[in-house]
Amino acid sequence: MLTLIIEKEIRDLVSTARFAVTFGICSLLILLTFYVGARTYALQTEQYEAARKEQLRQLEGVTDWSSVRSARVFLPPQPLAALVTGISNDIGRNAEVRGRGEANPQDSRYAEDPIYAVFRFLDLDFLFQILLSLFAILFGYDAVCGEKERGTLRLTFAQAVPRSTYILGKLVGSFVALGIPLIVPLLIGCAILPMLGVPLSAEEWLRLAFIVASGLLFFGVFLNCSILVSALTHRSSNAFLAMLVVWIMAIIVVPRTAVVIAGRAVDVPTVDELASKKSRYSAQLFAEDRMAMGKFVPSNPTGPQVMQEFNKFMSKIADERQKKMDEFSSRLNEERVNMQRIQEDLAFGIARISPVASLSLGLADLANSGLDLKEEFQSSIQRYQRSYGEFMVKKTGMNPGGGMIMRITDDSDREKPKPIDPSELPVFVFQPETLSASLASALPDLGLLAALATVLFLAATMAFLRYDVR
Amino acid sequence: MNATQPAPMLEARGLVKRYEDGVLALDLVSFAVRAGEIYAMLGANGAGKTTTINIFLNFVEPTEGEALVDGIVTHKDPLAAKERLAYVSENVMLYPNFTAIQNLEFFARLAGKTEVTRDECRDVLRRVGLQDDAHAKRLKGFSKGMRQKCGIAIAILKDAPAILLDEPTSGLDPKAGFEFLNLLAILRSEGKAILMSTHDIFRAKEIADTVGIMSAGRLALQRPASELAGQDLEQLYLQHMAGHVERAA
Repeated sequence: MLTLIIEKEIRDLVSTARFAVTFGICSLLILLTFYVGARTYALQTEQYEAARKEQLRQLEGVTDWSSVRSARVFLPPQPLAALVTGISNDIGRNAEVRGRGEANPQDSRYAEDPIYAVFRFLDLDFLFQILLSLFAILFGYDAVCGEKERGTLRLTFAQAVPRSTYILGKLVGSFVALGIPLIVPLLIGCAILPMLGVPLSAEEWLRLAFIVASGLLFFGVFLNCSILVSALTHRSSNAFLAMLVVWIMAIIVVPRTAVVIAGRAVDVPTVDELASKKSRYSAQLFAEDRMAMGKFVPSNPTGPQVMQEFNKFMSKIADERQKKMDEFSSRLNEERVNMQRIQEDLAFGIARISPVASLSLGLADLANSGLDLKEEFQSSIQRYQRSYGEFMVKKTGMNPGGGMIMRITDDSDREKPKPIDPSELPVFVFQPETLSASLASALPDLGLLAALATVLFLAATMAFLRYDVR
Repeated sequence: MNATQPAPMLEARGLVKRYEDGVLALDLVSFAVRAGEIYAMLGANGAGKTTTINIFLNFVEPTEGEALVDGIVTHKDPLAAKERLAYVSENVMLYPNFTAIQNLEFFARLAGKTEVTRDECRDVLRRVGLQDDAHAKRLKGFSKGMRQKCGIAIAILKDAPAILLDEPTSGLDPKAGFEFLNLLAILRSEGKAILMSTHDIFRAKEIADTVGIMSAGRLALQRPASELAGQDLEQLYLQHMAGHVERAA
């Protein structure tokens, strides 16, 4: 009997005009998302390669490593981040590394092209959030009360049909019927990705599969919720109105309110406040160093080693100043990061009342474009900064840290210096999160979605067991 | 139990239904319908006819008393009771995007007739008078009479021993109404127990074996049709209708 009800539900939904419209819109938007994602990835890859080449080109003709004041590192484009953008467009895509001091990501895509920030990108997160939830409502709001209004429920329950079987059949049937317009274009989209120049590794395919599964889970949550509301009402207009309120609350109100509440509840010092504190402290250290510079006395004031001795002295006090500055900055940054974490935990905790928050956070984790991306990029930059500093010490005997150094050059009959080999520079390696780590991060959110879907289904069943089918 | 009479297929025993808002919809209603009998429940709107049928279908539970189908108490074992029941509502509503045959197939399978074939569906549809060219058409374009025929076809296809008909001739044209009465007669001859609620006293007296007149939730009168002359039934009905209106006022 369950199969019969599922079959009927699928046939009933598939034969409607709204199914045809759904299938058309879904296909168009999903394929467009894959196309836009692939084009964005191709463009980002082009820009990334061009920027790296430009970095090496700028070093052409340089004959002395001590003239190299800094290196620029670039965040390599992530294929899945083009499909689930997460925060990948908000964080900086490159950083200037000097060998010491702070090196922060800068030049985010949205900062460079603010037009994209206005309406954001079309990605799977957006599609799942808006499209899937709306379609689940569109097909689920009258699942029970609509049948009652049309009179078919009465005839159905004049037969020996267990209510729990019927509601399960409704849910599974709707899920399968509506899953088709989602799965088909998603599979086509996945198939055309390599053709559009997006090579995915086995791990990335697996991540994509989890992303699609998460979308379907989210769809299940909204479908169950719609069926629950349908089983609690007797008029489809009331059910639709109620689901519209649920949708607005879940998609718009709850996530935004959570951020506002967390922002008010936890005071995180701003970047400007930190910069101001660092600037004051730096000025104080400079003042102290200027006094020390005034006291510099070369061992042999008339000898040729004066500049070298002065540079060494300057390097030494710069190292000490930087060490103090680093400690101070690190303390301030750590305090800020800790407060940010508390704020984020609170915001996400509240936002997770809505399944949309769980979906977004889970998808971003799976696509490696979540909040961790910023930390991973930052960590990679710090690691590179250390290796870059060591490389410069090896090449020049000191770590200039992007600061000024003084040199005496001698243009006498010396052999023309050879240019440096830029390929000797350490290679920047961005270490993205592993799949198991991403899954571990996403699992609580996906678990929450699964739990919510189950609870809503049980609630729908309970409501339907008491439903007046007359 | 009388040795000459079989056990009732449909039986109401002291049915009382008081709704949560205090309205007394049924007040000690008792009757029995045996296999091969047609029982016509006459009465004005609100007299309690549909509530009685709803209790047999377990859509509502009786406050007191019980309804039995083939000896099964409907609110205690509703699924077993419904296996023995077929039902045709006043306004048959089926799936508008399905064809007549698809609707028949679905409801027949839902009723446990898993082996039903399309040819069987076509035969039943012909039997209830639905034109062949309508069999493969979607229900969305069907008139009320055509839907009613499909509803009756579903009931016939189920082949249940008891049939509940809630205002079945409402909306049927005279020809269709006549054909429907013939069909009921055939079903009776096949041994079905039929409980029919209706306003139509003329058809009731023509086809029913027993007539019950309901008024304000009570079974005001119950007599074998053979004991009633046509004129008597009309007068009795109008008398009870007047009583119902007075009580309602």
